[in-house]
Amino acid sequence: MTPTILTTTSPTPAPDLTAAQVAGLDDPALLAQCVVEVPVGSSLRRIGLGLSGMYCAACSITIEDAILRVPGVSEVQVQAASQRARILLDPARTKLSAVVAAVQRAGYRAWPDAAARAGNERLLERRKLVWRLSVAAFCMMQIMMVTTMQYVAGPKAIPLDLWNLMNWAGWVLSLPVMLFSCGPFFSGAWRAARQGHIAMDTPVALGIAATFITSTGATFGGQAIFGHEVYFDSLTMFVTFLLGGRWLESRAREKVTQSLESLCVQLPEAVDKVIEADAELADISSSRTESIPISSLRHGDKVRVAVGQVFPADGQILAGQTDVDESLLTGESRAVRRQTGQMVVAGSMNLGSPVWMTVERLGPDTRYQQIVSLVQQAMTEKPGWMRQADRMAGPFLWGVLALAAGSAIAWQFIDSSRSVWVAVSVLVVTCPCALSLAAPSALLAAAGAMAKQGLLVRRLDALEALAHVDQVYFDKTGTLTEGELRVVGLVTFATGAKVSKGLPTDLIERWQKAAALATQSQHPLSRSLVKAAQESGVLQGQSWLDVRELAGKGVEARDSSGASWRLGSRHWVLEGAAAAIDEWSEGVGDARVWLASRTSEGSLLPDSISGYVFDETFRDEARPTISRLTDLGCRTALLSGDQEARVVAAAQHLSPKGELVVAMAHAAPEDKLRVIAEAQSQGHRVAVVGDGINDAPVLAKADVSIALDQGAALAQSQADLIVLGGRLLGVPLAVETARRAMRVVKQNLAWAALYNLSCIPLALMGLLPPWLAGLGMALSSLGVVLNALRLGAFHS
Amino acid sequence: MEILYVLIPVSVLLVLAILAVLGWAVNSGQFEDIEQEGLRILQPEGQPDKGNVEPYQD
Repeated sequence: MTPTILTTTSPTPAPDLTAAQVAGLDDPALLAQCVVEVPVGSSLRRIGLGLSGMYCAACSITIEDAILRVPGVSEVQVQAASQRARILLDPARTKLSAVVAAVQRAGYRAWPDAAARAGNERLLERRKLVWRLSVAAFCMMQIMMVTTMQYVAGPKAIPLDLWNLMNWAGWVLSLPVMLFSCGPFFSGAWRAARQGHIAMDTPVALGIAATFITSTGATFGGQAIFGHEVYFDSLTMFVTFLLGGRWLESRAREKVTQSLESLCVQLPEAVDKVIEADAELADISSSRTESIPISSLRHGDKVRVAVGQVFPADGQILAGQTDVDESLLTGESRAVRRQTGQMVVAGSMNLGSPVWMTVERLGPDTRYQQIVSLVQQAMTEKPGWMRQADRMAGPFLWGVLALAAGSAIAWQFIDSSRSVWVAVSVLVVTCPCALSLAAPSALLAAAGAMAKQGLLVRRLDALEALAHVDQVYFDKTGTLTEGELRVVGLVTFATGAKVSKGLPTDLIERWQKAAALATQSQHPLSRSLVKAAQESGVLQGQSWLDVRELAGKGVEARDSSGASWRLGSRHWVLEGAAAAIDEWSEGVGDARVWLASRTSEGSLLPDSISGYVFDETFRDEARPTISRLTDLGCRTALLSGDQEARVVAAAQHLSPKGELVVAMAHAAPEDKLRVIAEAQSQGHRVAVVGDGINDAPVLAKADVSIALDQGAALAQSQADLIVLGGRLLGVPLAVETARRAMRVVKQNLAWAALYNLSCIPLALMGLLPPWLAGLGMALSSLGVVLNALRLGAFHS
Repeated sequence: MEILYVLIPVSVLLVLAILAVLGWAVNSGQFEDIEQEGLRILQPEGQPDKGNVEPYQD
């Protein structure tokens, strides 16, 4: 095998950094934010870098090599799983922009990871958890080795001193588990106790402590009080299961955090600030500017934002008008017109022409940053079932303690030598291992299975609601349709008003020309033209001379033969055309982009004219999604802000048999809310699938909210479930998986409750020897976990 | 059966030693990215350019 196989699909190099991006990256304040670690006694810094565009583990090696070639970099670690790099560099000899540029040249995207320190802390925490888990698991295995002999042979076949040696071995091996692995349970219980609460950790910690103390007593000669039985095996097994669950949960959480974080990143840029002396000029557009890093921008500053730059802050436009790409915030992929006096938001991109603005909100106050912090806050929230379990644990624990104390007192009168023994066996038998594992293990296994199918579960308790959903509302634009417009056909003067279906082969040359010229422009429609050409494989590189992009008009250039070409709005491209052409082109209203060539004298060549028609396209998976949801017994409905006729046409297109109902067209966000509230008041459980920012309140109202990952960050930060890659079929799959998960939860709860309820009376009566209680405890936990794992093994 | 008097303590010590090794491995990031190490050997130019790093001078 030749090594090149690994790199054949290497992505094309990303565009070079602009001067403003370089200046923004080299801001020392930014570098300081990215520092993860400062090695003692050296001027080197270890910094964090976020990466994207990696598709396999081999990419990380390519990136490592690229970064290592930058002078001044002495160490690189790239983690494919977390899409992060940690770099040891000398700030005196290299700049952040050099590193980012090196990664971009290798064909990937990189950005300074300002949250690197938080990420580093999460990493260290995760490592510690793995370490605790592996200590518990290893000790458990070794204790099992020893106790198996005791189980198989029984006390009579083994000499007493050897029996004791085995118990001692178990005790020594469970010490690391008690002292190190159980740390989180004890500290959680202690924290709760100091605040006067009882947490889910409390019964667990008490159970662990009680089991360990009795077993220790029995091992070291206290048999008269503690009985003869030791439970080091069930103790370590219980701890291993609990830690395993926590580890799985933290991994699932980390995955979600990363996918959301990578949505919210952008390269920082330097800002062109209007210098003080000119700030009060009546005509701001004639003022002079200086380039400053974004960190030294202040409230009230006036800045100039060039075409292709990202707005550095929320603020008002002072002069100029432009088209703004706000897709990050609203999911609306079409550019929005903004003019003097209107607000622009940080994080959106200036596509049209340069504008001047005053800074009104900066950094943490901007809407963009608020979204980012919303996302981060959602990550740290405790799942609802955990809060509920904490509330229920209080009365439960008091009950258990009362039972144990009561039985100890009662047995004082019956047989005082057995009273502690019985109290302990009550504590052991009621230790709610199986109960506390029943729901989380099933929900986690389901979330894991869903993650493999491209579904990220943000709130585990949403799975419960999802299992009962009977109505699913879809947004149309961006949800059932692709987010971007697509070229669906073209017209020429020769074909008249008739729009070709698709892209006819006899016009391929025209079409190639348009795509080649479109590569010179950043406009969303140009990008979509280029994408379509790439997909059908007709895109050819062409060299252009004198390329000019004019805001709101289009792009103009000369090709190698010297002919001048224009691509852009009808008005501009067909400027000075004959009346017949003008009339004809007016009639083809659907054509949004035009292409034409001119002679050197500037007169239009009628034969070179072509117009490109764009339309939204439905996702391939939209139709099967509707029919599968119908099969599952869910009513599907469209809830759209678009015009009635288009929504009805979409419903007919997607469901020939009429399963997809039009709930409401031309709906404002309040109307959507009202529809959802009405359905809920009729007792329906409602799921909403959406993507844009105006879906955010509707998503919050629904019982279960599902967002597509191509949508607005705000919509996603409020959603319970995120569907990756726009794979709509994930929605019915999620409903199915959630239903099965809830079945498993019910089985688990029934089994755990049955076990606890049937064993408590036996233990109270002194009929349950503690070894049997311990075995029962371990087996019931194991049963619950294995039952839950069935969910993960499922593949559709 | 007498051998058990030796083997059990030895196995306990062995487990403690293994735990120490495991602790080093976990905390130095050996389990962070398991896939990539296997692919490293197939990479065409594994040798980074050592010349670009000057020893640190104070």
